[in-house]
Amino acid sequence: MLTRRQFVASAALLAVSGWAGHSFISPAAAQTADQGASAFIQKLGNDAIATFSDKSLPRDQAIQRFRTLLYAGFDVPYIGRWVLGRYWNSANEAQRAEYQKLFEQLIVNTYAERFVEYSGETFKITGVAAAGEADSMVTTQIVRPNGPPVNVSWRVRKSGADYKIIDVVVENVSMGVTQRQEFASVIEQNGGRVDGLIQALRQKVGSRAG
Amino acid sequence: MKLASLSRSLLRTATVLAFALTATACATNPGDSGAKDGAYQVNDPLEGANRVVFAVNDAVDTVALRPAAEVYVAVVPDPIRDAIHNFIDNLMAPLYIANNLLQGNFDGATDATGRFLTNTILGAGGIADVASQAAIPHASEDFGQTLAVWGVGDGPYLVLPLLGPSNLRDTVGYGVDTVGDPVRIWAYAHNGQGLMYTRAGVSAVDRRSEVLQSVDDLRRNSLDFYATVRSLYQQQRQAAIANSKGPSAQEFPDFTTAPKP
Repeated sequence: MLTRRQFVASAALLAVSGWAGHSFISPAAAQTADQGASAFIQKLGNDAIATFSDKSLPRDQAIQRFRTLLYAGFDVPYIGRWVLGRYWNSANEAQRAEYQKLFEQLIVNTYAERFVEYSGETFKITGVAAAGEADSMVTTQIVRPNGPPVNVSWRVRKSGADYKIIDVVVENVSMGVTQRQEFASVIEQNGGRVDGLIQALRQKVGSRAG
Repeated sequence: MKLASLSRSLLRTATVLAFALTATACATNPGDSGAKDGAYQVNDPLEGANRVVFAVNDAVDTVALRPAAEVYVAVVPDPIRDAIHNFIDNLMAPLYIANNLLQGNFDGATDATGRFLTNTILGAGGIADVASQAAIPHASEDFGQTLAVWGVGDGPYLVLPLLGPSNLRDTVGYGVDTVGDPVRIWAYAHNGQGLMYTRAGVSAVDRRSEVLQSVDDLRRNSLDFYATVRSLYQQQRQAAIANSKGPSAQEFPDFTTAPKP
């Protein structure tokens, strides 16, 4: 087991880490939390539930409505650019334009299905806190008819009077970070060429378009 | 007994490895991870081998684990599955308590102890999760997290056969947890190896059954499923280690004011 020396060393480490941990829990962030961001998420969520509860809607119309809500709620071009990260700089204008188009299509393909197949989930806002310099993190809990509730946080940025979501964090996993790392991996597998990613996106999106 | 000496040598190797890791962690300064390319930092020097193991695991999942989980969900009613899940989790409680203490997290240890006592006594030996209804928070603390709290860095990303995504630190942690697992110690002392295999099997099916749809979605929507899983693993571990208190370290720059190239 642990020797005495190791134990003392770890005890010291523990003391330090325990102390460091406490400085994180400060109420300062709550003071700057933006209630407008929370109201924005509440409204967007209500709209989404109202839209997809209506099961009489034909499928293609439901997907069209999803796209409308997506643009009302999310800054899709921002997310696309953020996800591409450093490779944005090495892409030319034509590549950027095609990438953004494919990225949007990928988002619609990925998420439209889940919303269209809405089956009675509800959500409640559990908190809002300042994030970074300009954003708010709105934390929600999605309650599902079967299965445990899911914690989802929405990173909301205000520009002018408008709020837009720029990242979604599901059970501590950021969708933006996941996609950024995935795309970086695809680009690296293709010798660092953005074209490799665009090709893969074309295949992914094309195979499910229609 | 052969096994006891095996455990001892395993533990010794683990300790040595752990301290070797600490040394590397200090040398590379984990605080740098928030640097400009932080979001791309994937420490995966064995990617080639990892991808092979990942593909094998994926095949095993497709032909065995996923179908088993589907049958499990279809055949076993919800309340019984919950009971099985709770029972397996409650058996891990002594490890959660120990790891909380080793991390110096006394609130966590108190919660874990409270959960264990509540569920064992009021929850009929752990099949009912009374503690959650009483709002005692649940956090599974393992030795990999303890090492992280002690300052040990992740080490290279590893995909373990059958066990799935890990890294060097968490693999060591898993070894230590396995050795320290009271159920294993009891089972080996009473010739109950069969019980261990049963628990491992049921536990795998139980965990798989909880993520059936999410994994299907991920697989379908990924361009590179391997990279997606690697990213998920790293993010979830970071959150588990920090007990999800710390805010995301990612930077979201304002592109509108950035100089146009």
